[in-house]
Amino acid sequence: MAKNELFLYALMGGIVLLLILAGFIEQGFEATLKGLVALQARPARLIHDFTALEGVGATLVNSGLVSALSLILVRLTKVRLAGPTIAAFLTIMGFSLFGKTLLNVVPIIFGVYLSAKVAGKPFAAYLLIALFGTAMGPIVTYLVFQSGLNGIYAVLVGILGGTVTGFFLPSIAISMLHLHQGYNLYNIGFSCGFFGLFAASILAAAKMKIDIQVIWNRDPSLTLTALIPIISIVCMVSGILLGKKKAFTDFLAIQKIPGRLPSDFVDQVSAEGTLVNMGLLGLLGSAYVFIVQGDFNGPVVGGLFTLMGFGAFGKHVKNCWPVVMGVVLSCFVFGKSLAAPGPILAALFGTTLAPLAGQFGVLVGVAAGFVHLVVVERTAAWHGGLDLYNNGFSGGLTATLFVAILEWLKTTKEKREGP
Amino acid sequence: MKEYILHLIGEMAKFILDSNPTRMVISLHREEDGLHLAILDNVPRSEEELEKIRLALNAPKRPELAEYYGIMAGQDLMGNSRLNLVGWQVKHADVSRTQEGMKIDLWLGGERFDSSYFSIPKK
Repeated sequence: MAKNELFLYALMGGIVLLLILAGFIEQGFEATLKGLVALQARPARLIHDFTALEGVGATLVNSGLVSALSLILVRLTKVRLAGPTIAAFLTIMGFSLFGKTLLNVVPIIFGVYLSAKVAGKPFAAYLLIALFGTAMGPIVTYLVFQSGLNGIYAVLVGILGGTVTGFFLPSIAISMLHLHQGYNLYNIGFSCGFFGLFAASILAAAKMKIDIQVIWNRDPSLTLTALIPIISIVCMVSGILLGKKKAFTDFLAIQKIPGRLPSDFVDQVSAEGTLVNMGLLGLLGSAYVFIVQGDFNGPVVGGLFTLMGFGAFGKHVKNCWPVVMGVVLSCFVFGKSLAAPGPILAALFGTTLAPLAGQFGVLVGVAAGFVHLVVVERTAAWHGGLDLYNNGFSGGLTATLFVAILEWLKTTKEKREGP
Repeated sequence: MKEYILHLIGEMAKFILDSNPTRMVISLHREEDGLHLAILDNVPRSEEELEKIRLALNAPKRPELAEYYGIMAGQDLMGNSRLNLVGWQVKHADVSRTQEGMKIDLWLGGERFDSSYFSIPKK
């Protein structure tokens, strides 16, 4: 293992330990454990803020454990800890604050593993799909705890539902890339939303209740508020210590990359510049939440973790800000509060469309953000909140629309001008 | 296999066409355990440019990216061409200067690739 990769393992492992330690200190040992056990039995569909349900401590420990599992899987499959795997790790960490649990991610991962075996490929080839695919975890907990089924029958149906979902994800995910051509960074979110449409329709047809409920912590603790700024500063300082002046020049080089999938900044530029980029995105994201007076609760901190994670895999300051501006503009035009759950999550997660701004410029980025907000507020109901990456689903639809129009404009212009 | 070859040819052709050549030749040869794809153009390039192409096409293998994102090679009409998508999927690549421009040789093989079955030049 290269020195830089070892350092990244130490840093990511350190963040896991920080979360677990902070969790136990925040809520006390016994209460944290009780809360952690209780979290596993939550249906966990969108938007179930775990910090409001079982406390900040239990939520942080849950996040630490689920993300530790993802880091172990990366190591076991011998996949490099670089841009995509850092993005997956921090995304899982974030979503374990409001949806992913140890119980509901395992059947999905197992389903993807089976899919790899059937396709005759090593699990490493589908590892990213398995990690990001845990977005469909709520289908497991919904079937076990909320579907109206009872006892061992409910558990078996839940595990089977998750495994079947995971099994089909690789084929869907690979196919969905064609639609948006890599301009939606959360491609698995798009794929899970697509699959979730069918799953929710089947559940509704079977007379199961699948309506959306928003549980949102309006009074988050200081620990949650300080978490992302602290981790961001640690990332930036680590990058600077590791690369010194090179960290800044590499950070600037990253800003020139459009960011379309797959843009591994660690591989294309350097780990040092990537860490500075991730840290700055985390700090700017936190500043945005602070300015709009949003709540630093599970979903919002989850959004900030994801923003940082994709700071290694497609997002940077230059391609993110136009999309955020588009969301803000959309809020002003349609009279929405910037701090309300939908808009604040759309501003953070909507940066899934950053490659559109990176490739086609500021105006396209602003327009994409503008459209994204209005679409994302409708899509969660379509899949019944089963796809935790709802912004990825909406982002996929928005990117597909923009790519279709831009491609038509480009080919029409080229044909008119001739060879 | 046909689709896989079309993807790679598409991405390579896009890369060459981005440089506005007046001539591009793509030839495909079946070998004992796979295929040899040769691409020629007539665009003069600096040694630095050739080295960049060499590096991209001989990128370290990334199975997690090749299997998932590799499908995008040769598919999109917009954005820059991306040789690393090809590099992750081929077994070996050579880039050399010709009198007029450049020649790229790509060797494609299955999971049990054995270079001795291919016409890869010995260094």
